[in-house]
Amino acid sequence: MTKAELPQVRIVPLRMLKPETTERLLNTLAGIAGIRRMMIHGPGLPATVPYGPARGSPNPHSDRRAIHVGDAEIALAIQAGEVILEVEDSSVIEEIRSHCDDFFTEFPYQLQEGRFMKTAPTLVDYAKFGPDADTTLIGLADPRSGEDPVVIRRGQ
Amino acid sequence: MAYTPQYGPGTSIVAENRRKQMNPSQKLEKVRSVTDEDIVLILGHRAPGSAYPTAHPPLAEQQEPDCPMRKLVKPTEGAKAGDRVRYIQFADSMFNAPSQPYQRTYAEMYRFRGIDPGTLSGRQIVECRERDLEKYSKELLETEMFDPARVGIRGATVHGHSLRLAEDGMMFDMLQRCILDEDGVVKYVKNQIGEPLDRAVAIGKPMDEKWLKAHTTIFHSLVGTPYREDTEYIEYVQRIHSLRTKYGFMPKEE
Repeated sequence: MTKAELPQVRIVPLRMLKPETTERLLNTLAGIAGIRRMMIHGPGLPATVPYGPARGSPNPHSDRRAIHVGDAEIALAIQAGEVILEVEDSSVIEEIRSHCDDFFTEFPYQLQEGRFMKTAPTLVDYAKFGPDADTTLIGLADPRSGEDPVVIRRGQ
Repeated sequence: MAYTPQYGPGTSIVAENRRKQMNPSQKLEKVRSVTDEDIVLILGHRAPGSAYPTAHPPLAEQQEPDCPMRKLVKPTEGAKAGDRVRYIQFADSMFNAPSQPYQRTYAEMYRFRGIDPGTLSGRQIVECRERDLEKYSKELLETEMFDPARVGIRGATVHGHSLRLAEDGMMFDMLQRCILDEDGVVKYVKNQIGEPLDRAVAIGKPMDEKWLKAHTTIFHSLVGTPYREDTEYIEYVQRIHSLRTKYGFMPKEE
C-alpha cells in the first residue's frame, strides 16, 4: 500500500470535463516530475444501458472514447469530475497549482490536500486480486471493471 | 369572505417564480415551440401518427354505473377515449433550473386535471392518459418551466440533478439523450428511456445565465439566489417546523 506520509491532492474543477479537456489536463500533469500515482474520477458512461426499459441496448456516448496521455492510451469510460494525485513531496503540489492556474481559465477549480486514495485493500479488492496483489496498484482501477491501471512513462 | 390562495411565502425572485408557476390564473411565458410529432418522439410511447392504444372502451360506449361523483366530475379527453396511462419524467439541475420536482408537482396539480405525479429528490414523473399527457407535455416543454440544458426529459437513468454541469453547460446524462449541437441548439437523439431516435429532435437553444437566474425556482447560494436572503421564507418554514414538532407532543393551550 501507499506510504502514509506521501501527500495527496485533488483537482476539482467547477465543471465536469470533456474528453479533450481531460486529455489536455492529464498531459499537462504528466509533464510534471514527482507525481507517483494519478486517478481520474467521475460518473460512469456505460457501453450498454444498465437499467430501465432499454436495458442492455447499446449506449452511444460521444464522451466515452480513448484519450492519449504521454505514450499511453486510456479508454475513458467516465465523465471526468476530479483528478486525484499522489506526489513525492509538497513542492510538487505548488507546481501542480501553478499549472492548474494557467489551465483553468474559463471556469474555476479547487486544489484540495488530504487523503483521497485507498489505504487498505477492501473485500472486493481481496476477492479480485487475492492476498498477494501489488499494493501500489490497489484503488487505481475499479476492481469490477476488469481493467488494469495504465502506466505512463515520462518522456525524458 | 372568498379565499384567495397565496401559493407560497417569500419575497425573493425565486419565491415569486414559484408562485407564478403554481398560480393557474397566471399564463406562463412561451419561450420555444416544439411540434406535436417531436413530443411524441421524445416520449417514445407510440409511433407518431399512429392511433392511441386503449386500455378500455370509450366511456360513451360502455355502461357507466349511476354514480353522483361521475356526474359531478367531467372526464378528461384521454379518459373519455379510454387511453392508456403513460408518463413523462423530468430531471432538473440544481444549477438554476427553471423548475424542480416539488415545484413541478405543485404547479401541475394546480394547472392540470387527471394527473398522478410522483415526486423524488432529483426527478419528477407525471402520469396521465396518453393524449392528455401529450397536451400537458407540450405546455411543460414550451413554457418557462423548461430549459433544454438544465432540464432533462428522462424516463430512466435520471442521474444528473446534483452533479456539476458539463463544460458546455449541459446537465450530466449517462445516456446522452440530448446533445448541444454546433449550431447551439439542443437536440434529442434518444427518446426519454434512451432508445435512439430515427431523426434528431431540436428542442431549442439553452437559455442564458441571466434568464435562468431570473426564472429559476431553486435557491442556490453560489450560482443563484441564496435561501438565507429570503427571510420571509425562512420564517415561514421555521414556523411550520416548530408547529409540527410541538404538535408531536400534543400541546394543550392554557
